[in-house]
Amino acid sequence: MMTRDDLNALLPFHANGTLAGAERAALDAALETDADLRADLAALCAIRDTMQAEETQSPGELGLARLMRDVEAESRTDMAPTAANDNVVPIARLRIWQVAAALVLAVGLGLNMMPDAGRAPDMDAEMSEAPAAAEQGFALASGGAADFTVIFAPDATEAAIRALLLEAGVEITSGPSALGLYGLGLLESGRDDAARSVLAASEIIDDLQ
Amino acid sequence: MDNDHKFLMTRIAGGDRQALAALYRALERPVYRFITSRLNDPHEANDILHEVFMDVWRSADRFEGRSKVQTWIFGIAYRKSIDVMRKRGRMDLTDETFEIVDDSPDAATCLAAGQEAEHVRHCLETLKDDHKSAITLAFYQDMTYGEIAEVAGVPEGTIKTRIFHAKKLLMRCLSGRVERGVA
Repeated sequence: MMTRDDLNALLPFHANGTLAGAERAALDAALETDADLRADLAALCAIRDTMQAEETQSPGELGLARLMRDVEAESRTDMAPTAANDNVVPIARLRIWQVAAALVLAVGLGLNMMPDAGRAPDMDAEMSEAPAAAEQGFALASGGAADFTVIFAPDATEAAIRALLLEAGVEITSGPSALGLYGLGLLESGRDDAARSVLAASEIIDDLQ
Repeated sequence: MDNDHKFLMTRIAGGDRQALAALYRALERPVYRFITSRLNDPHEANDILHEVFMDVWRSADRFEGRSKVQTWIFGIAYRKSIDVMRKRGRMDLTDETFEIVDDSPDAATCLAAGQEAEHVRHCLETLKDDHKSAITLAFYQDMTYGEIAEVAGVPEGTIKTRIFHAKKLLMRCLSGRVERGVA
């Protein structure tokens, strides 16, 4: 026999439609005779509807691009020692290698955060000679080549970017690079000229190549 | 739906990044909403979401398929959020709740009075984290109490108790705002 507290605890699961079996039957029976329970259920349904109607601005495609970049980087880190040591890597040595890689990465990040700090006089020249390496960032899992390279406006929201990508029939295939460049690839259904005109007309695209 | 997710998990365990992208697109919004509701900080939630899906990538081969994929991923998000709150030093780890007298008039009236979203948002924020999480998973994600128990790693009875108290406090808060005429 369920107590009134038991029934009250189950009400939210009646409101979200997940209650079943004997518990649902017992609660339905109580609802037929208890006006207070019915009022509580109505309120809970209204709360649920209100919560479900709330809009959420999630990271979306930008978050996916970040995820793919880090997955790619992690995969490269995992594969490098194996290739270099013919599949036989002592654990202690692997750890030292990983620590060294982390230090190199940390120094690299530090340099990125402070562009002028510690830069050799000819480093700018080297970067200009190898723009692909400096700006490439990462490639999406699809491995698709970028048909366009863009820079989004600094105040572009994820929702606006998502809507633009859908409208143009493209997806982010790489980026962000250190310079904020994103590569966009045409979806199977997309057409180059149509996509280009949509991107060119957009207010959230600062630069289109 | 869950069979689709399980198929994707199998592919992810085999190193398929396209499958990871597909699973991310399917679940990032609800997972992000759940994390945001707990942390109340979109930037921090962004980072936690990223970490959750990195964990999915790293440990997909450990997913045994006994639970829904969504439940498993929300469990990761739940634990990572707790870690953040512990670091912030504002984590209340007990289930103790002050006894309250349920003297609410009619909470449904409150929700018919307009500005529902603002009232609900405000009142959710007044709840303790474990109460808020239970209500959030029940009403945002339409989870069963069994699934919520799995996400939180506690017995089903504990979730029923949390929901019971959360419901009372939520109703009381909503009714109080109507009585005070909070706009």
